[in-house]
Amino acid sequence: MQELISSPMFGLCLSLGAYLAGSWICVRFRLTLVNPMLLAAVLVIGFLKLTNISIEDYRTGADFIGMFLGPATVALAFSIYSQFEVLKKNLLPVLAGCTVGAATSIFSVWGLCRLFGLSSEMTVSLLPKSVTTPIAMSVSEQLGGIAPITVAAVVITGIIGSMLAPLLLRFVKIGNPVAVGLGMGASAHAMGTAKALEIGELEGAMSGLAIGITGFVTVILAMFL
Amino acid sequence: MIIFALCLAGVWIADFLPIALPANVIAMLLLFILLVFRAVKPVHIETTADFLLKNMAFFFLPATVGVMEHFDLLKSSLLPLLVICTFTTLLTFLATAYTVKGVTALQNRLEKAKERVVLTGKEEAKCRN
Repeated sequence: MQELISSPMFGLCLSLGAYLAGSWICVRFRLTLVNPMLLAAVLVIGFLKLTNISIEDYRTGADFIGMFLGPATVALAFSIYSQFEVLKKNLLPVLAGCTVGAATSIFSVWGLCRLFGLSSEMTVSLLPKSVTTPIAMSVSEQLGGIAPITVAAVVITGIIGSMLAPLLLRFVKIGNPVAVGLGMGASAHAMGTAKALEIGELEGAMSGLAIGITGFVTVILAMFL
Repeated sequence: MIIFALCLAGVWIADFLPIALPANVIAMLLLFILLVFRAVKPVHIETTADFLLKNMAFFFLPATVGVMEHFDLLKSSLLPLLVICTFTTLLTFLATAYTVKGVTALQNRLEKAKERVVLTGKEEAKCRN
């Protein structure tokens, strides 16, 4: 039995199975608030706890999956490039908005963490929480944060942002699709973009653009922390 | 292949760069520059990039599962964490949206002012004629 568990195939199969199950549940019950990855993570954690299998055994195989994160981050350049025309047309608003957004996020997180008296390790783990996960993880690791906490915070932020931002739009009239899209992408990364796409095509494109640019600005700002 | 090679190049460059820039982000920037200067054409990487982007969520699974090692830390600060996430996310949304709105309005006003200058210039020319 131990042989089976410590084989790299165990972690791979468990991850794939949990992810498939997560996707199926999301489609079957039309869940929009939780995503397949989150469900899969809950399933894997539950399974490991129930069977008392150590996370090291899981990692033997699962680490292969994590390896693809680097290339996936690089592929983000391709998605920015496919929006290149939109970017050129709105260069100044996009750059200004994303820079202010990234700065607001970093400073407000830092201020609140101080207010709540969170440890510095926790604080740096939360700092990059509004940017897309691969970049957030890189920034967090660079600053000495705990990567899993960062991933959790990024996911929570995405859920909250995509849920509350459309609600907020009912109270404050922004009335500018470019502004709405960029705001969604800058504050709630890919999950905000998914929601922005539901609002409109221009909103979606702008939001997708904001993910990459805000991520990049955050990296630059993080260098000075 | 190009994407994976760029990742390696990113690690290599990050090693001797004096500033602390994550290797993946360097590689991302490299790819963007290559695309803009047409050294790499979208067709070369489309299939791989699409595959990576579409399955991105899955690649995070192992990292997220790692949260189970930090449950105690998370439990002790769950409430502040949720408050921080909610407040800062909405604040970021508003700050970004209003900045964009402001900059766009400013740009429009500048353009109109320019047009007016051009128009008055033309009228003056007419008067002289």
